[in-house]
Amino acid sequence: MAFCTGCSLLCDDIEVDFEGAKVKRTLNLCRKGRGHYDSLLVDRLAPAVDGSLVDIDEALSSAAEVLEGREKILLFGWGNSTLAAQKAGIELAKKLGSVIDDPSSYSQGLITEKVLKGELPTCTFDDVRNFADVSIFWGDDPSSSHPRHLSRFSYYPRGEKRQRGYEEDREAIVIDVRKSPTAQIAADGFFKISPGGDADFIEALMAALGGKIPKVEDKKRMLNLGTKLRKAKFGAIFTGLGLAHSLGGDLDAFFSLVGKLNELTRFSVIPTLGDYNTRGFNQTLFDEAGHVNSVSFKDGVDHGPEFGIAKYLDSCDAVMVVGSDPTAVLPAPLAKKLAGMPMVAVGTHRTLTTDGADVTVPIGVAGLEVGGTALRTDGVKVEFDAVVDSDYLPDVEVIERIMEAV
Amino acid sequence: MAGKKELTVVTYRGIFQEVEEALGMYSDGYRDQSALLELDGGDAKAMGLEDEKLILLETASGRVVVTAKVSEDPHPGIAFMPASPWSSQLLSGEVGEGGLMELKRFSATVTPTEGAVTSIEEIVERIRAA
Repeated sequence: MAFCTGCSLLCDDIEVDFEGAKVKRTLNLCRKGRGHYDSLLVDRLAPAVDGSLVDIDEALSSAAEVLEGREKILLFGWGNSTLAAQKAGIELAKKLGSVIDDPSSYSQGLITEKVLKGELPTCTFDDVRNFADVSIFWGDDPSSSHPRHLSRFSYYPRGEKRQRGYEEDREAIVIDVRKSPTAQIAADGFFKISPGGDADFIEALMAALGGKIPKVEDKKRMLNLGTKLRKAKFGAIFTGLGLAHSLGGDLDAFFSLVGKLNELTRFSVIPTLGDYNTRGFNQTLFDEAGHVNSVSFKDGVDHGPEFGIAKYLDSCDAVMVVGSDPTAVLPAPLAKKLAGMPMVAVGTHRTLTTDGADVTVPIGVAGLEVGGTALRTDGVKVEFDAVVDSDYLPDVEVIERIMEAV
Repeated sequence: MAGKKELTVVTYRGIFQEVEEALGMYSDGYRDQSALLELDGGDAKAMGLEDEKLILLETASGRVVVTAKVSEDPHPGIAFMPASPWSSQLLSGEVGEGGLMELKRFSATVTPTEGAVTSIEEIVERIRAA
């Protein structure tokens, strides 16, 4: 069996036959996972300095030269890195006295940190499969982003206490601004809200849970939802980017709702995180520094939004990006700031970010070309081995060699 | 040519876009799955737009030409766009009151246009020209 590191579900039941690095036959891969496997032969990153190809040793020494002597370095990315590389990255940040951050600083970091602090109830996907009778997908469309979420864990499967699966034992509720593929599966369980309407929806649901008449157009439907959630034996809430962004990062109303639900019954929260090991980075940095992102090791440990990439690009003097493509994701004004920085990019494939880097260092694809460990988005640790031969270095070796050279 | 319209744009991720991204961000397939805007049928009609026609999206931060897709479901005043380098060109980078940088939602002026979809190479050039 092979693993898939195409998303943070880290599916562990993949059967695959390769001819070299070309996939000949697979079983259990989703469409996205197949793309991930097929990408072994597409647009691979090469070692380069200022756009000229070099050998890996020169790329590594040049990467160290970019970072040496800088006062305000940002180490960014890490969601597509193994746990060992993430730990090495944090050690590198300490050695350089630099800032380390990941995309959770502009996505679901607040929810993940609350989970890791034990202030937001959570559970594993295995608990969901075995016990959950209500699955809420909030601003979250796993049918597109994590395609086997519903089939392996949250809706379709039969579990220990849910032998009749989605037909009778499980209900899906989707709260979203768009009738997404997940919303189409939920059918009558789809609650369409207006953009930015999550706070009003939470207020109405809190009223319904408290037995009050909610101030919404369809009061009866909201009251029925409140009754359904009150009667749930084991509820799970899967959060997506849509929730955090609709609330503008002020998630207190959502946290209060989860608290209210847990006064009435049991509801757990699992953030649906994007990159395969986002949860791993958040956990590793939390264990080391007490925060999941935006940490400076300049003078001990310091944390705050000023150390998130959105703000720190204003003051940093060099960037190392590992396993991420912020140039493609960040708003144009920030992408332009990033493009003007001395930059090292470590990754598996050519991206907009690697194309703008002074030095590029290729690594192997985790779970396919190199082994390692990672945390699934529900926090369960998985270990995977390489399944194809490759000359690419593991990410941890690249980070350690840069650390030795600076 | 029919008039322009101010719309709220909400970004999302689609599975086919995710697949094409894995197979190369500089590919035609990734562009086709990313450089598009899903429009409400009524809004499209008011602008004289049909499926697969080109539209210019403009904000204070940037402008891109993408392909119009007319939705079957109604969502007047709201348009949906895959999150990608094309949508990123239209984002301001401002941080909201809650401390989170806005990536999911913005207002844009939508105008029917002609010519070609903005290429990813052009986007890269704009970023580097700063």
